[in-house]
Amino acid sequence: MSRTNEVSITVNGERYDETIPNRMLLVDFIREHIGLTGTHVGCTYEGACGACTVHLDGAAVKSCLMLAVQADGHDVTTVEGLANDDGLSPLQQAFNDQHGLQCGYCTAGILMNMTDFLREHPDPSEDEIRRALIGNLCRCTGYVHIVRAVKAAAAVGTK
Amino acid sequence: MFPAEIEHYFRPQSVGEIHKLLANYPEGDATLIAGGQSLMQAIKSRMLRPVCLIDLQDVADLQGIDNANGLTIGAMTRYAVIAGYDEIPVAYAAIRDAASHVGDRQVRNRGTIGGSVCWNYVASCMPTVVLGTNGCLRISGADGEVREVAADDFFFGPFETACGEDEILLSVSWPTPSGKSGSAYKKWGLATDALPVVGMCVSLSLDGGNICNDARVAIAGLADGGQLVTAGGAALLGFDGNPEAIGPVTAAVIDSVECQSDHWASAVYREQLIRNLGAEVIERAYQRATAAQP
Repeated sequence: MSRTNEVSITVNGERYDETIPNRMLLVDFIREHIGLTGTHVGCTYEGACGACTVHLDGAAVKSCLMLAVQADGHDVTTVEGLANDDGLSPLQQAFNDQHGLQCGYCTAGILMNMTDFLREHPDPSEDEIRRALIGNLCRCTGYVHIVRAVKAAAAVGTK
Repeated sequence: MFPAEIEHYFRPQSVGEIHKLLANYPEGDATLIAGGQSLMQAIKSRMLRPVCLIDLQDVADLQGIDNANGLTIGAMTRYAVIAGYDEIPVAYAAIRDAASHVGDRQVRNRGTIGGSVCWNYVASCMPTVVLGTNGCLRISGADGEVREVAADDFFFGPFETACGEDEILLSVSWPTPSGKSGSAYKKWGLATDALPVVGMCVSLSLDGGNICNDARVAIAGLADGGQLVTAGGAALLGFDGNPEAIGPVTAAVIDSVECQSDHWASAVYREQLIRNLGAEVIERAYQRATAAQP
């Protein structure tokens, strides 16, 4: 019992019943334990870069600022969960169409944050998009094409 | 940045259960975790090495906002919920001003008002707005007794509050506003929604002729942490909305606080921020008060 706990965490619709160390971060559970490496670590777990953003019960959160045991009983969605059998999500497609990435390291976190954002703000202004992106650092693009992609996805509709 | 071993993790369902868990550990061994947006940083950097972590996410009594008699915000209410709650009385609108601009979207989806005021970080918004709006903090003691502590008596220095190691903050509440009251908060940071280099909170009440007869001013971002500026509140008495009367108020604030120079900003720059932000929040709080239903 000590130092570990049994958890039941649903990731992208699949349930994982595991025994994990209490101190394991959610991002490490996702990447190391179940092997979904689309969720990135950009800032050595400081909570500053947003690359590890996932959805916890639909809301964008930084998975390096949570322990995996805190996600017990919750639904987690990672970037691998955005596309479905019909192909990329409208936001993913818009990033592709608008060249909303260069190296791509920050992209997973931005897609997760902006997917949640567009659900709350289906028709955002450029200022609203830029303010919503504060929690995600991109060091390649200068954000211009990212903002353009989010706008394009909003125009298509997020779902 | 990886946590030290955590022997035990619990997720109690009630305040009583939290007290029982806390009683099982020597003081300082068990740590309560709310949203964790500051605490996890401290745990990962091993500034804190809790033997036992008690996660408050399932305690329903700590959740939610009630505006039936004044305003009560449960300690575990997340910033995003406060920011999205549009029925906060204008007397306490500063709370929403602050919650809407903490950190970033992801942080606002996790971070809580209770976590922030109990952490009482040196540069933070929520302690300052709770001080500036004269909030009342309800605390459950180890014996199960609930005590009420005024904001003035709750915040000590940075990282220090009146909430003891064996106590639990339940909620922050404010009374039904008397007459025409309004409040506002605004900060300036190095990036959008960043920690306050300076944050200014003003709350004021007006008499029938729209003359200020009660006011509080609190400031964020100074070396001593969030603090009430009594001289600022006193200088606002008699304020009638005339923009020319604002300068002396912010001057009184600057005279009675000590602005530090640090790697974020010089003292002179902070003083200018007090003038600019102060003028903005005084005007906004006054406008909100004049529009309030008495």
